[in-house]
Formats: sequence, C-alpha cells, structure tokens
Amino acid sequence: MKKSNMMTYVATGCAVMMVVVFVTLVYESRALSYLSSDPKVCITCHTMNTHYATWQHSSHREQASCVDCHLPRDSFVKKMIAKSIDGYNHSVAMTLGTYGKNLRVTDNAAERIQNNCISCHAEAVAQMHENSERYKKFDDEVPMGRRCWDCHRMVPHGRTKSLLSTPDNLGVKEL
Amino acid sequence: MNKSIIVIVVSVIATVLMLLLLGSIRGNKADQAMINTVPDIRELEPRSAEWGKYFPRQYDSYMATKESDEIKDVLKKDPNLVVLWAGYGFSKDYNEPRGHYYMLEDNINTLRTGAPVDEKTGPMPTACWTCKSPDVPRLMEEKGELEFFTGKWARWGDEIVNPIGCADCHDNETMQLSVKRDFLARALDAEGSEPFDEATHQDMRTLVCVQCHAEYYFKKTDWEDPDGKEHTAGVVTFPWDNGLSVEAIEQYYDERKFTDWTHKLSKTPMLKAQHPGYETFKTGIHGQNNLACADCHMPYVREGGVKYSSHKIGSPLDNISNTCLNCHGESEEQFKQIVERKLERKEELAAAATDIIAKAHFEAAKAWELGATEEEMTPALMDIRHAQWRWDFAVAAHGGFFHAPEETLRILGTAIDKGHAARLKLRIILAKHGAPEYEGPAFSSKEKAQELIGLQMDKLVDEKITFLNTLREEWIKKASHSGKEIYDPKTEVKEFKTSYADEK
Repeated sequence: MKKSNMMTYVATGCAVMMVVVFVTLVYESRALSYLSSDPKVCITCHTMNTHYATWQHSSHREQASCVDCHLPRDSFVKKMIAKSIDGYNHSVAMTLGTYGKNLRVTDNAAERIQNNCISCHAEAVAQMHENSERYKKFDDEVPMGRRCWDCHRMVPHGRTKSLLSTPDNLGVKEL
Repeated sequence: MNKSIIVIVVSVIATVLMLLLLGSIRGNKADQAMINTVPDIRELEPRSAEWGKYFPRQYDSYMATKESDEIKDVLKKDPNLVVLWAGYGFSKDYNEPRGHYYMLEDNINTLRTGAPVDEKTGPMPTACWTCKSPDVPRLMEEKGELEFFTGKWARWGDEIVNPIGCADCHDNETMQLSVKRDFLARALDAEGSEPFDEATHQDMRTLVCVQCHAEYYFKKTDWEDPDGKEHTAGVVTFPWDNGLSVEAIEQYYDERKFTDWTHKLSKTPMLKAQHPGYETFKTGIHGQNNLACADCHMPYVREGGVKYSSHKIGSPLDNISNTCLNCHGESEEQFKQIVERKLERKEELAAAATDIIAKAHFEAAKAWELGATEEEMTPALMDIRHAQWRWDFAVAAHGGFFHAPEETLRILGTAIDKGHAARLKLRIILAKHGAPEYEGPAFSSKEKAQELIGLQMDKLVDEKITFLNTLREEWIKKASHSGKEIYDPKTEVKEFKTSYADEK
C-alpha cells in the first residue's frame, strides 16, 4: 500500500514536471504568437530575415502581410490547416537544421500564393485567366499553368533572397 | 501501480524530448539575438573606418570617392571670375569639387583658407570647417555650438582630421539617417513649408545632404560664456526665412544689409552664393516628384547576392544604367547627349553673364576714379550686386543645369538683365564725367586677371606651402597623439594636388 502511494506521488510529480516544462516550452517558443497574423512572427527565427526585409521594402508592404499571400484566405479552416502544415515543416527544419541558405516555396504553398495573386488582382488577370484555358499548361501545380513570379521575378522579395542577401538588416524596424 | 508507471514513463520521455527542444530553441534565439546585435560604434565616432568594420561594402564604396581626384581649375576656364571676386578669397583659388574623400584635404590646401601660423591667425573663421568633417558634430557636442563657431579657422586644425563620413548622416546605434547640424532644422522651421519634425524617411534621404549642399552665410551672434566673457560667433545660417527662391534669399540679405565683402574694383557691397543645391533641386522636375538625392547619387548596387546602396557619391552619369535608366527608357548614349546639351545651354548664358558683370566692375572702378559720387553710384552698384548674386546662385548650385534647367536659365537671364541695367547706368555716369567711351582692360588668362586686381600670387603660394609644412604637420601630429582616438591614417591623402603647385 505504501509503495503504491509512493508511486502515485512520483507519477504526479513527473506529470507536474512535464506540465511545467511544457508551459516553459510554450513560453520560450512563443508558440501562441504563431496564432497571430503579424509579419514579425515570421522572423521569430532568423531564417526568414531576408524575406521580411525584402517584403518590408516592397510595394506589397502597404497591402499584404506574409499570411495574405502565403496562406489560403477563402476559409478559416483551410488557413489553419495550411498554417499547421507549414509550421510543422518549419519547426522540424529549424530544429534539425535541415534547411539551406536558399529557401524555396513548396508546390503546395505555390498553389496558395498563386491563388492569392489571382484573387487580389482578379480584374487585371481576368482575360489572362480566360486565355490560359485554351493553351497548353506548363505547370500543373498552379492555376493558369504558369507561376506569376516566373515573369514578375522581383515581386515582392527581389531576385536574390538568400539568407546572406541582407546582411545589414537589424531585425524588425517599427514603422 | 501500472497506471503510475505508465504516467512516469510517458512524463519522463516527454520531458526529456521537450527539454531537448527547449535547448534547441534557446540556441536559435541566441543566434537571432546575435544577428540582430547593434554594431558597437561610439556616438559621433568620427573615424569612418570604425563604422566600416561592420559595413564593409558601404565603407569601401565611400572610399572609392578617391577616384574623383582631378583638379579642375575654374578660374583658368573663365578668367572673368577673378575680376568678379576681386577682394575675396575665391579670386585666389577655386577648383571644381572632388570626391568626398578629398573634402578636408582640399579645404586645407586651398589658398582661400590662407596660411595661419598659429590658432589665432588666418583669414577664415571656424565656420569654414562646418561641412568638411564628422569631427564637426563631435566638437559641437563636446564644446557647444556657439563655442565651435567662435574664433579663427586654425583653432580647430588639430581636432578636425576626418573627411566627411559615416557620422555625418547616420545614427551610431540604428544606422538610421540623422541630421547632425542643427542649423538645417532651424532653417526649415523658419521657412515653414516643410518643418523638420515632419520629415519622412524619403525626405531624410535628401536632408542629410542638405546639411551642406545649401546656400548659407555666417550670422554674427553675440554670446556670453559661463565666465561672463563676451564672444561673437559666426554661425552657419541658411537664409530661408522668406523662401528658397533666388529672389527671396536676395531680399533676405538686402533687408539685413548683409554683405560678404566689398568689391575691390567697383566697391559694390557683394554677395557670394554658395552651392544652393537644395534650393535649386526643389524647383526641378525630379524635386517636384519628390525624388531624393540618394535616389540618383547613391544607387542600389549588387555584389554577389547582396544588394546595398552605393556610398560612392558622384555624378549619376557615371552609372547611367543603374540610375537614370531605372525610370527612363532611353539609351545611355541618348541620355549623355541630352544632359550635355543642357550643360552647354547653361554655360552659354553663364559666360555671357560673367563677361557683362566683369565689364561692369571695371566701369564702376573708372567712374569712382573720375570722381563719381556715392549717390550717383548706388543704383548701379545695387544692380551689380544683384546681377552677380544671381549668376553665382545659378552656377554655384552644382548640377543646377540638370536639377532645374528652366530655373537655372531663368536666373541667368535675370543676371544678364541686371548686369546690362548696371552698365547702362554706369555708361551715363561715365559720360557725365568725361569718359563716354571707356572700356575695361582686356585680359586673356587667370594669371593676367589676378595681376590686374593686384593679387601677389607668388607670396600667397609661398606662405601656403610654409603653412602646409609646419602648422599643418603639427596638427596631424597633435591629433594622432592626443589619445582621443580621432585620427585615422587611412584618411591621409598621399598625392598632393592643387591648382597652384605640384609639390609641397
């Protein structure tokens, strides 16, 4: 009886310890901040400093934040699912150090971005959209068969967006 | 019991994994903090090389202003200028500006700053250093602005040892653009249309340049030091109270009866215009569209994957494909031709103006010689004052022919008009005093013109060379041994280049 009491205490202690470490982890990783849409959240780690800096110096800065282009905007559920997938991939890459100095968008993310380009610039691309239906598709991953940024190469991050491209970027500049 | 064991095992495994993750997150956060660390640079650090340790590309491009090293003697090109500035330093020596790297060297070498033998001699006041060095904001901070503006130029010779550099435009912690000379903010506020506090980042990309590239004068300001001693400072002041136009500034000076010097030949109370670059730029099409100086003079360049703003400030025409062609569709060749033609138009009218004004000075001198009275002469002299002021305003605004061609040509037009008005009045006076057909002496070179106005050039040059080999050397020695850490041997210009001598 005594022994089992003892075990219960130890088990409770371990459980409490786990909860404490979990809370610390949530706090240290600023996990809850990832629920927001603030672009600064995307440079909690330094990996995307260049993408932040180039976006911040682009014309899109005034109109669209990171999530406006990179996550689906048609439904909240889709947005959260995409955010979770990206978040998981980013966490794994960051923790295991498997990312390179040049990040590339996944096909899944490319499709979302292209959809967002089209939805904001709907009027401008309406005719193109119609025409694209009639011609051979170059790329099955994205609507219209060719990625907007294959031609609009500077939008919005510029052409060289290696981690080393913005060495003098001192983190976040409050505007 | 089984339950407890399961809880313990799961908790321990989860805790260990979470601790590992926590360690990794802390490591990443430390990396991020290190990347975001602000460079450790002293406030108002005058040595640009110290900033260059953290910003090597910007520093290297700044140092490349060395390449603009040719001495172009403006007096040689148009000897009329010697006559226009008779009695004033500019008649002795005046070259086109070289790169930022040479700014201090050229200020020290020019015959205009004379040949002081100690800290209390020489023709110029301390204000002549104002735009030459980041040691100036440092001194203003250390000594106070009025103290800085008091005394002779030679007073700060051993303190001012770095040419214009990083600290003149940047904050040491954030690298944000910052204006280090208070007189600019005072002038903008006095003018009123663009108060300094409302300046945007785009405005700052012009205003840091305007600290120096604007018309100014030394305003006599009395002040009392803590010991109760009276001093008079010559404070750099932008005359913008009435507006930025050539007429508004002329009116400002006339209202205050301000004169830079009295002309040696014509006795005219003269004004000297000094590079009203900003005032002129604002009236041109690029200024009207709110471009900043940095948009064309500091274009973005790419080095490997890194993009940064070039600090090799100079003519955008040296790099047309990265400057003009960012917005314009023409070819480089077409651009060069368009701009060259603009320059020719300005030079044509400027040459006409200097010819007329030089003649007017000689004719006024003759009229005085023949006994003309002050009452007779005053209206003609005021015309000379205004004519020369306007011509000077148009040509001293470096790049004015391009920044604002219409305004520049308009100003030159009014200069010619005023010059002719002066000569018409003088012709009547000369006729009255028996010399209706007087013509000023002819001169074909800078040297002849200098002789004509009574300058002893050999003596001036000898004295200057002596100064450079004595007091100047002492300044460098003092600055490098003062223990203040202000001297950087890299700023020492190796090759001695002036308009008056090939070696020291």
